[in-house]
Amino acid sequence: MNKRLADALFEAAYLSLITLFIAFSVIPVLVALVLSFDARGFIGPFPPTQFSLRWYERFLADDYYHAGLVTSLIVAITATLIATFAGTLAAIALSRATFRGRGALQAALLSPLVVPNVVLGFGMLIFAARLGIVDGMTRLIMGHVLITFPYVMRTTAASLVGIKASYYEAALSLGARPWKAIAQVTLPLARTGILAGAVFGFVTSFDDVGISLFLTDAFTYTLPVAILAQMRANLDLTIAALSVIFILATVLLIVLLDRLAGLDAVVGRGVYGR
Amino acid sequence: MRRPGLTAAMLWPALIIMAPLLLGPLFALAQESLKPYVGGRIGGDDAGALTLDNYALIAAPEYVRYFLDTFRVGLISSGLALALGFPMAHFIVRRARPATRRVLIGGLVGTLFLSLIVRVYAISMTFGPLGPLSGFSRLFGIRSNSPDGAELMVVLGLMNTTLPLVALTLIGTLQNINPRLEEAAMSLGAPRWKTFFLVTVAMSVPGILSAGIIAYAFCISNLVVPMLVGRGFILFVSNLIYSRFSDVANFPGGAALSIVMMVISVSLFYGLLHLVRSNWQEAGK
Repeated sequence: MNKRLADALFEAAYLSLITLFIAFSVIPVLVALVLSFDARGFIGPFPPTQFSLRWYERFLADDYYHAGLVTSLIVAITATLIATFAGTLAAIALSRATFRGRGALQAALLSPLVVPNVVLGFGMLIFAARLGIVDGMTRLIMGHVLITFPYVMRTTAASLVGIKASYYEAALSLGARPWKAIAQVTLPLARTGILAGAVFGFVTSFDDVGISLFLTDAFTYTLPVAILAQMRANLDLTIAALSVIFILATVLLIVLLDRLAGLDAVVGRGVYGR
Repeated sequence: MRRPGLTAAMLWPALIIMAPLLLGPLFALAQESLKPYVGGRIGGDDAGALTLDNYALIAAPEYVRYFLDTFRVGLISSGLALALGFPMAHFIVRRARPATRRVLIGGLVGTLFLSLIVRVYAISMTFGPLGPLSGFSRLFGIRSNSPDGAELMVVLGLMNTTLPLVALTLIGTLQNINPRLEEAAMSLGAPRWKTFFLVTVAMSVPGILSAGIIAYAFCISNLVVPMLVGRGFILFVSNLIYSRFSDVANFPGGAALSIVMMVISVSLFYGLLHLVRSNWQEAGK
């Protein structure tokens, strides 16, 4: 096979894989978007024949989802605040630490990323029962701190790598106390990393099902758990309307993240960045 | 210059909060898994003698099948995610203009952030029996309402979950490979495909393997995807643990399954990662 033909074939394969990637990511979202405006009262063949806002109205009138949303927000915000506070300090401490076992401690603190959430959730349920904690909200916050912490710590740690130790040392040599040098030099420089970590932590918590399924009680349930229960019980298109609201919220979050931290901060520019 | 006092002080909040949250559930699970199971009772029998029966049950063939399904379907999904994710990451790093790059990265982070349940719902609406792409499974000679059809849906759901993760991780890898090496290969007369596979892919092997390991860890621990689109044909170990909790209240059995699953996941993850790092320490630099 000559070189030109081989290159053309390669290029075609390369571009079709990219197209497939985009199609596979975008088409389902568009289908959900179209279905959310379906006027039919049942799930019929695609595309819908008439359009209406009935599923949005149904969602707005549904107290079951509202209660889930409120719980999700309380749990996600509380867990993110706790995890961001402890995780940021731990990331800074570990970046400076020289003691033996530093790597092991770091691996232990990141371990919830590797252990299946179902295992963490089931363990947390039994643990909370042993402690006599039966309150759903407390249990949920305990579980969500556990899974958001590693995201905050990892992202903050990654952003600390680019900050030269000499800045901190310069502050010390100019007479700042160590804690002041950290608060006024290191923390502001790591701001975008901490912020990105907090956003990742919040999203992880808000979207979690694996842990929450075990820790919810009859009155305290998160939004994803509520949706899951509805999906298994009666599949109607309220969930499509809810999906579109989720998609809009995600777009908003991405724009916000881009404004605050810059999307490039999430992936970095690399050693040979343009 | 290092002040151990301050470093320790900054570690304390994390230790005080995380130590009980990490160790408490672990010990609770280990202890529960050794208790005898008494039917009809929630939680193990506290008065009974400790036993390894709950672990012995897991070795039975019908349980091993769930483990094999989990690992097999996870492998297919993360393999496909790598095959699609690598060209995408390559395109973003090497070819996309700044504006396109921004949109694509925004899209990747967006799909990563979009609720998993919403994505699985969208997939099942698109590829399900009434969806516009319901014929997709026929491309592989599979009927959508057969066990193989259910497996295909689980694979699609898991791929959708891991694709953005894989692509974003690989962007990091590719950004640290010197583009001059590819230019050099091509200016020496190598065809595009050869440059791609023998230079770019070869130098990314450690990154590809780490991305694959992360994707695999995500796939095998998934609960929602098999629960919603596996239709009972495909059940992961996660689903089995959940049903021990919710359907039959066999806490000791669920705890034993959890411990086994945890040991397998953690050793797979760190074992594979260690293997990659020790074999390719300096590659890709």
